Formats: sequence, C-alpha cells, structure tokens
Amino acid sequence: MIRYRWILLLIVVAGALTFSELAEQPVLTNADKVQRIADDLACPVCDGQSVAESDVPIAQAIRTEIARMVDEGLSDSAIRADLVSRFGESIDYTPQRSGLTGLIWALPILVGAIAITLLGTTFKKWQSKEKIKPFTFKNKRVTTMIFIMGIALVAWILIVQFTGSRGTGDAATGDIRSSTRTLLIEAQTASDENKVLIYDEVLTIQPSNVEALTYRGWTFWRTGDYEAARNDLSTAIEIDPAFPDARVFRASQLFSDAEYTKASADLVVLDSLDAPPIVWDLVSASKLRERIASALASEGDLVGALQLLDSGISRNNEDASLLAERGWLLANTFEVSLIDAAIESLNNALIYDPTHPNALAYRALVRSVLLEDQEGAALDIKKFQDLTDPPELLVQLLQNQGLLG
Amino acid sequence: MTSLRVTAATVGVLMLVLVGIMATRDSGNERMTTYLVGEVAPEIKAQTLQGELWDLDDQRGRWVLVNFFSTTCVPCVREHPELVAFAEEHNRRDDVRIVTVSFSDTETAVKDFFQLHGGDWPVLASNTERVAVDWGVVAVPESYLVSPSGFVTAKVIGGVTQEYLEGLLAEAQT
Repeated sequence: MIRYRWILLLIVVAGALTFSELAEQPVLTNADKVQRIADDLACPVCDGQSVAESDVPIAQAIRTEIARMVDEGLSDSAIRADLVSRFGESIDYTPQRSGLTGLIWALPILVGAIAITLLGTTFKKWQSKEKIKPFTFKNKRVTTMIFIMGIALVAWILIVQFTGSRGTGDAATGDIRSSTRTLLIEAQTASDENKVLIYDEVLTIQPSNVEALTYRGWTFWRTGDYEAARNDLSTAIEIDPAFPDARVFRASQLFSDAEYTKASADLVVLDSLDAPPIVWDLVSASKLRERIASALASEGDLVGALQLLDSGISRNNEDASLLAERGWLLANTFEVSLIDAAIESLNNALIYDPTHPNALAYRALVRSVLLEDQEGAALDIKKFQDLTDPPELLVQLLQNQGLLG
Repeated sequence: MTSLRVTAATVGVLMLVLVGIMATRDSGNERMTTYLVGEVAPEIKAQTLQGELWDLDDQRGRWVLVNFFSTTCVPCVREHPELVAFAEEHNRRDDVRIVTVSFSDTETAVKDFFQLHGGDWPVLASNTERVAVDWGVVAVPESYLVSPSGFVTAKVIGGVTQEYLEGLLAEAQT
C-alpha cells in the first residue's frame, strides 16, 4: 500500500506544479508588466543590475522601449525575445527553453532520471547481496519508475510549453515573424522566384502593402507574366497614387504596351512627387522619359512630347539629356520660329554636359541642315569624333546626313 | 557494476560535450562587435535638428554611415573631425551619406555641438531611444556602414578615423 501512497503523492505534486504554472495570472497594469519585464532583464553594460534598477542611458532607453511594446499589446515573451535578439542572451535572467540554453532546463530532468536509475540499480544490488526482499514486485518496480519518470517528463513539457504568455500573432513554433519591412528588404537580394514568394508573404500579412504590390508587379513584368504585372501595378497606384516606384514601373509597362500618353501621364505625376534619388536615377539611366517623348512625337503628339520633357526639365533644369531631346524635337518641326528655341535648348544641354553625344550630334545636324552653318557643325562633329564609344544610332544618323565619313 | 560504469561513462561524456559546447559558443563581446552585420538595417525614421523627417529607406541606392553619438562622450568628440573630413570627401563624390543619431542628449546641446564643430549631415536628436534599442547600441560612439541595398556591412564600436572608414568602405565595396 505504501508504494501507492508515494505514487499518489507524486501525482499530486506534479499536478500542483503544472496547475500553478497554467493557472490564470492576476490582471496586471501596463506599468506592472513593464516593471516585471525590466526586473527580469540584465542591463547590458552594468554589473549585477537589472534594466529596472539601472539608470545608464541604454537601460532607460530599454525601459522606454518595453513600455512602448507593452502599450502596443505585445506579449511578454515577444518583448523579451525582441530585446534578447538585440542585446544577446546574456541579458535574459530567465534562460530560454530552446536551443543550447534549453539544456539548463533539460539537464535537471536528465540528471534526475540518471539518479533514479542509479539508485534503483544500487538498491537491487544490495537486495541480492543481503538477501533482503523489502519489495516483492520485481517487474512492477521497473514499471513504477517508468511511471514516475513519465509524470516528471509530462509535467516538465507542460511547464516549458505554457510558462509565460504567447501573443495571438506569434507563430506556434515560437519563431518571431519577420516584419514586412524586413521581408521587403530581403526580397531585394532574392532570386525572382523567391522575390514573388516573399512579396506574397508580405501581402498575406498586409494586403494593402503598396511596395510589395509594386515590386511583385515589376518582378512579374521582368519574368514575362505581363497580365499579373499590369494588375499589381494598377492596384498599387489605386491604393497609393503617390507611390513613386509604382509610377515609374507602370510608365515603363505602358511604354512597352505602346500606351504612350498614359505612360507620359504617370511620369508627369511622378515629377510632382517627392521621390527618393534612386527613382530619379532609374528614370534617368533608362532614358524612359526621352523614349516616351520620342514615341509621342513620332505619333504626331509633339505638344504631349514637349510637355513631358518640360515637366522633367522643370524638376531638374540641368538635365542635358532632356534638354538635348527637347532641342531635337523642336528642330524636327522644321518650323522657322522654333529653330531658335531648338538651338537654345541644345546649347543649354552642352553647357551642363559639354560632351553629351546626343546634344553634339543634334546640334551639328541643326547647324548643318537648318542653319547652313557648316563651320559650327564641323566643330560639333570634331567633338563628337573625340568621344569614346559614341552611340551607334547617332553615328548612323550623322553618316546618313553626310556629316561623318 | 557494469551498469554503474556505463552510467558513469555516459554522465562523463555528457558533461564533456556540454563543456565543449559552452566553451566554443560566441562570447558576449564577440556578439557585440558582430551584431547586425550581414542583417537588414533596422528602421531609422526620425526628425532632424531642422525638423525634417529623415528615413533610412529613402537612402536606398547609396552607402550610409550611421553614427551613434553623444555630446558628453569624449571619444565621440575626438572622432568628430574625422567624420567631417570623411563627409566632405564623399559629399564631392555623392556616394556616401552620413547620419548622426544622438543618444541620451538634449537637442540644444547637439545643435550647439554641430555649430561649433561642423558637420552638415542630418542629425537626429529627438525620440532616438527606439532607434538605439533597435540597433542594439550599448555605448556610444558606435558606427554602422549600411549598403545601398539596406544591409549592415560593418560595425565599429568606439571612435573612428577617416582612414579607417575609407578602408571599411573599400572592403565593403569589393
């Protein structure tokens, strides 16, 4: 009977331990929660002081940050995990229950099990030596030991699993979900296939994320899924008409679709936005504006073409490429009244970039063909010939007009 | 006796493995110097001394040197002329931007400091506690080099020189 009492006692103890861990915690104010978390974290630069106790700047900053996260409704475990990820496990007074640190929790159980096994084996030896038989249940003893260890193991698993709190947004595995911002930056260096998967993940978390929609659309465009690209880019602009990246990519998409007027409209809107430098670098490097303007002019919409170029020039009046294109379009009207404006635009382009190949070639042509200024044209041709690796199209254009041999 | 020996040997091996694992883990100091390197740079979005909103994400496409500093920190004061020289050099090339995140300081003190010692890059001086915690800053000065794609490529704890920063940049760019 005695053995059953012991087993019963062990069950009661394990149950009480488990219940005490699982029982509902008293309601705490946010200030209480901040204090509790700060008490349980070590100040990263102090010896023997918690974040709650220390007054060094970083401890104060961590307390402020804990308060902000508590106010945002993050769980204790999420806040702790966030801070430990930044300052290291050494600041955590309560060791984690996973990874190598989890050994701290597992080792007592392991050592306990080994100790029980050792004791059992030793008692068995003593019994066989002294011929004493206080226990008459040879097999039952083994069963009892396994039962006790089983209870201890279940209690341990329950305690580890449920201690602390878990927010509804936390993954069941305990992993901290990456923020949408982190995912978006990671997508920049991912392969095209992975980019789409990452943007899908962002859009699952936040369906209205304009950046993810825009860049998923652009990835679709580059990989040939044109219809999906058109949908994503249009949706992005519907959600946020002032997102510059979406305007650039859709302008490029519309240009490829030969929708020049709509492409031009997107770039004109872009000019009114406060876009980051990389967007302007992209527009400039791809010569998207010049190509759209040229396409509009070739369709007979010279006014639209000039408006598009002027919009870009009003944002940056030292853009030699736009000034050169503007001068060329004006000259191609063959309107006498516009020739002066054409030459002025080309002159300005060469003031800001004296070796701009388009400006040199266009001015040589205007001087030679329209102004019959062969001397001036020859000077421009000389400078053009001095360029290293001038664009082949310009070379052909000058050859066709007999200005280059 | 055999089972006792086996058990003792098992415990011994376990202890050895544990000691081995603990001995080969990164120490806290190693972690301090490498934390964030190779990771996506945490967000920095705060007001400059001039009252404009400065956002690290807007700097995509360019290298950014993020410098955490305080006017009351002696190494910060010592490194400042080096940062000014580095900024002047790279302003001409327009390839690197500097941003200073003032930590545990007053806006007035920071303004006065920059007026006296120079430096015309953006300085963030209000509500920067969150930025410092996000970047895991424990003591100023700390500097981080952020790549054009937004990843931290280098971290320096303590004062820097222009030459050292140029070396870091060259190494990061190769």
